[in-house]
Amino acid sequence: MSGPEPVVRTVNLVKIYQTGGVPVTAVDGVDLRVDPGEFVAIMGPSGSGKSTLVHMLGGLDTRTSGEIWLDGKRVDTLSESAWAVLRRDKVGFVFQFFNLVANMTVADNVELPALLSGATPRQARERREYLLGALGLAERADASPAQLAGGEQQRVALARALANKPSLLLADEPTGNLDSRNTRDVLRLLGEVHRDGQTIIMVTHDARVASLADRVVSLLDGQIVDDGAIPRPVRRPRGGAGDVVELRS
Amino acid sequence: MSALRASRRWIRADLRARRGQALLTVLAVAGIVTALITSATLLEDGTNPWRGLFTQTDGAHVWISAQDTADAGKLAGLPGVTGVAGPYRSAPVTLVQDGKKSPVALRALPATPPKVAHPVVREGRWLDSADPDGVVVERSLARATGLRLGSPFTVTALNGARHELAVAGIAETAEQGFYPEWTPGLAWVLPETLDRVEPAAGRSESVIGLRLADPESARLVAQGAVTLLAEKIQRVSTWREVRASMELDNRLLGLLLALFGVVGLVAAALAVANAVGGRVLMQSRDFATLKSLGLTRGQITGMLVVEHGALGLLGVALGLAGGQLVTMLVLDGAGLPLSLGPTAAIAAGTAATVLVAVAVPAWRGGRTPPIPAAPAAPPRGHLSKLARLALLVRLPPALVLGARDAFTRRGPALLTTFGVAIPMTMITIGLGCWATLDGFLDQPERVGQAAALTVRPGKLPAAEAERLIKADPGVAAYYPGSEVDALEPEQTRTVLARAIGTSAQPYPFVAVEGRGYADRGEAVAGQGLLDLLDVKIGDRVRVTVGGTPLILRIVGRVVEPDQDGEVLSFGLDSLAAKDAVPPEFYALVLKPGADPDETRARLLAASGQDLEVTRVENPAERLAVIRVVIVALIAVLALIGLANLLTASALGLRDHALDLAVLKAMGLTPRQVTATLVTGTGLLVLLGVLAGTLAGASVSSGLIDLQGHTSGVGAGIGRTPPAATLAVTMLVAVGAALLVALIPAHRAARSRVPLATR
Ligand SMILES: Nc1ncnc2c1ncn2[C@@H]1O[C@H](COP(=O)(O)OP(=O)(O)O)[C@@H](O)[C@H]1O
Ligand SMILES: [Mg+2]
Repeated sequence: MSGPEPVVRTVNLVKIYQTGGVPVTAVDGVDLRVDPGEFVAIMGPSGSGKSTLVHMLGGLDTRTSGEIWLDGKRVDTLSESAWAVLRRDKVGFVFQFFNLVANMTVADNVELPALLSGATPRQARERREYLLGALGLAERADASPAQLAGGEQQRVALARALANKPSLLLADEPTGNLDSRNTRDVLRLLGEVHRDGQTIIMVTHDARVASLADRVVSLLDGQIVDDGAIPRPVRRPRGGAGDVVELRS
Repeated sequence: MSALRASRRWIRADLRARRGQALLTVLAVAGIVTALITSATLLEDGTNPWRGLFTQTDGAHVWISAQDTADAGKLAGLPGVTGVAGPYRSAPVTLVQDGKKSPVALRALPATPPKVAHPVVREGRWLDSADPDGVVVERSLARATGLRLGSPFTVTALNGARHELAVAGIAETAEQGFYPEWTPGLAWVLPETLDRVEPAAGRSESVIGLRLADPESARLVAQGAVTLLAEKIQRVSTWREVRASMELDNRLLGLLLALFGVVGLVAAALAVANAVGGRVLMQSRDFATLKSLGLTRGQITGMLVVEHGALGLLGVALGLAGGQLVTMLVLDGAGLPLSLGPTAAIAAGTAATVLVAVAVPAWRGGRTPPIPAAPAAPPRGHLSKLARLALLVRLPPALVLGARDAFTRRGPALLTTFGVAIPMTMITIGLGCWATLDGFLDQPERVGQAAALTVRPGKLPAAEAERLIKADPGVAAYYPGSEVDALEPEQTRTVLARAIGTSAQPYPFVAVEGRGYADRGEAVAGQGLLDLLDVKIGDRVRVTVGGTPLILRIVGRVVEPDQDGEVLSFGLDSLAAKDAVPPEFYALVLKPGADPDETRARLLAASGQDLEVTRVENPAERLAVIRVVIVALIAVLALIGLANLLTASALGLRDHALDLAVLKAMGLTPRQVTATLVTGTGLLVLLGVLAGTLAGASVSSGLIDLQGHTSGVGAGIGRTPPAATLAVTMLVAVGAALLVALIPAHRAARSRVPLATR
């Protein structure tokens, strides 16, 4: 392969769950390459292995076989702790259920990854103020997550994922739990950080959400069945709230 | 470094979010440590008051009575002497109280208390030259004779002259044992008062106390004093004799206390483990999130250990302070704080227990997989067997649903049941200790104390003593006895051989195994003796008493609190006549309802003070205060149980949020929802209370007996709390638990839960 050093590269990545005696092959020989600044959407029906794939890319789950390379470094052999340390600098996660730390204020939630990546409390605070300001949440800094609406929580989660300036942003159905208005807001934000050069891998089962990306990778039964750039320009349907169909996975 | 900052941030946020719970943990641990320190101090102080008194009075190690004071200077010059009390003039007088006479040593001390061996005033004041008729009375003498502040203190000197003095103060000292075990009693007056009461110098003696650099050299110094003063010396006593006479055989109570300590430690572990365990279960999603942000397994474990460990250790520290405070209040400023050894043991024991109790759930928290799970799914709607039963007997829907809930979620169900059952077990064991103490008092014969009084004939001939005893209306039976040393078969150690009663009229031992002795050559023994000689009931043992070999067949085992249980008891007629006649003492069993003190006074009066009558001291009496500690510990345990319940219900409710919405959508009123939740908790509580009580009842007497066995006292002292007590305890426990369960249930039933969180 030529071109710049990829942010993520996997070689014949396989994940087999061994629960209850019957092995389930969730990811089945995936070769994936994501270059810096790319915005990749991973699509596929429920159970096709999308979550398993991004969890492995972020080290939350171990691979059964194959290789994972992050920023030119082989990482699939790392221990759980080494992965944790690596995540502090390189990876940001956004989950479907927001997963804000319930006890901490919005401000603390966002500052935590910055502190972990070695920022001083002051730098962490400045980064948090900048991010919350950019996401329109500056005045909610002292609120607790439970006081926020779903869309606000997901924007905070996004701010938190960006707080350590990760080289890779992983988002697993970030809009799966939001109504259409909040979905639009979150997607707009993702678009903005992408324009600023952020590499993003986003899982979704919604074609309209995927259409925001540069490239769509389609998974089926753990295998890549389609990988291609999105033809542009995309026709966005007119209409307001409620036209994003809610599906569950 | 960076992880430290993040962890600190998390800990601070977490503590802020659950101030109440954190406080509860601290208080629970502090309560337990306070209870342990208090009971250990009381035990130490109650069984060995000498230590406290000696320190408080800056006591002297050796006391010497001599004919005159001339040689005091020489005594002070003995090697190792660092301080001298006296010499004080001391005269024998008789205290007269409406016909009752008590022997007292009147001692002259200055109005300014001396540096060494200054009595500590407990009531009233010290001697004052403005009040030359004032007497300061030693406390045990005041107690035994019923003297209070201001009471007249009428004494007759050896010349028969009467002097009216008055009690100005009551004080304690470490220079002699307690009256009446140690006679004569002690009272202090000013020198000029003593000169008035006993002008003749020849009828008084001179008393001097020596404080030593090394207490162990007391015997050497005493010997030195004897050599120095030769025939002028009248009496020498060392601190060891004083301590021994004040000491109470605390073996049985020590046993209870040890058991108690174990209960306390388990309770502390439980309080902490439950708080941390429940917390970790609640926060597993947060831990997954923190891991996805880059915290490692070890860092999460460390964070939890630091947070909860710090709370526990804070509790230990507060408890140490609390223990000091409580004992100070209980002992009224008298007595010493607990000695360093036991304090350190309690502190280290609880600290270690707390840390282990924290470490286990913390370790589990660290092992949370980093993939944040979706919010907990509602349980599949299996009807448990119990719920089906409830349905069958047509219970209201809330009860059916509650019964279903109770058993569908294993985690919270176990947490609730065990969280209630374990404190309940401990409470039952505590009640068992209480019942055992009651047993000592109600049935002293079961611990070998059938006789309430011991009479030594003293100067009287045995026949006269027997006549006096027989004539007393309070005495039901009396048993002549002698205690001799018996060389055990290998002739290397002696055991106590107690000849008491005769085979025709045996002393009423209660044999816990076998039977009492009923024939010449038969004996009963304590567990310690059986273990020492490696014999069992039915075996013969050969001992040597006063050079005569004696072969005894052991026919029974009795509970034997004395001498580590290494005691052999048999009838006087088993002894050779030269060892048996005349008997050393008589053990008096009183008629039911007869007051030992009155009987004692009667016997003393009848014999004109010639009989030596002592009360057999029941170990449970002097330590009645330990019951206060049992009550306190039970209160702490109850709090812990309720705190556990709160943790478990909080956890249950978190998992329940969605169910509740569904239930309400189905048309249940808030009241029905509350009933559902309370039923669910109530069933588990009932189960826990039942299981805990059963476990405690079956274990408590067994545990006490096990401890008894290993200490030589022998099994057979442990008691199970009475059924009525247990029933009331269970009712109260279930009632309190339901009340506590009602609070979160009520709140949850009223809150509106959005269905759309998923
Ligand atoms: N922890 C697990 N244990 C066993 N099987 C799992 C586990 N997680 C996912 N699976 C299985 O792996 C497959 C892929 O799951 P997942 O990656 O969650 O799919 P998607 O995110 O595309 O819906 C599914 O068949 C799922 O049942
Ligand atoms: Mg998924």
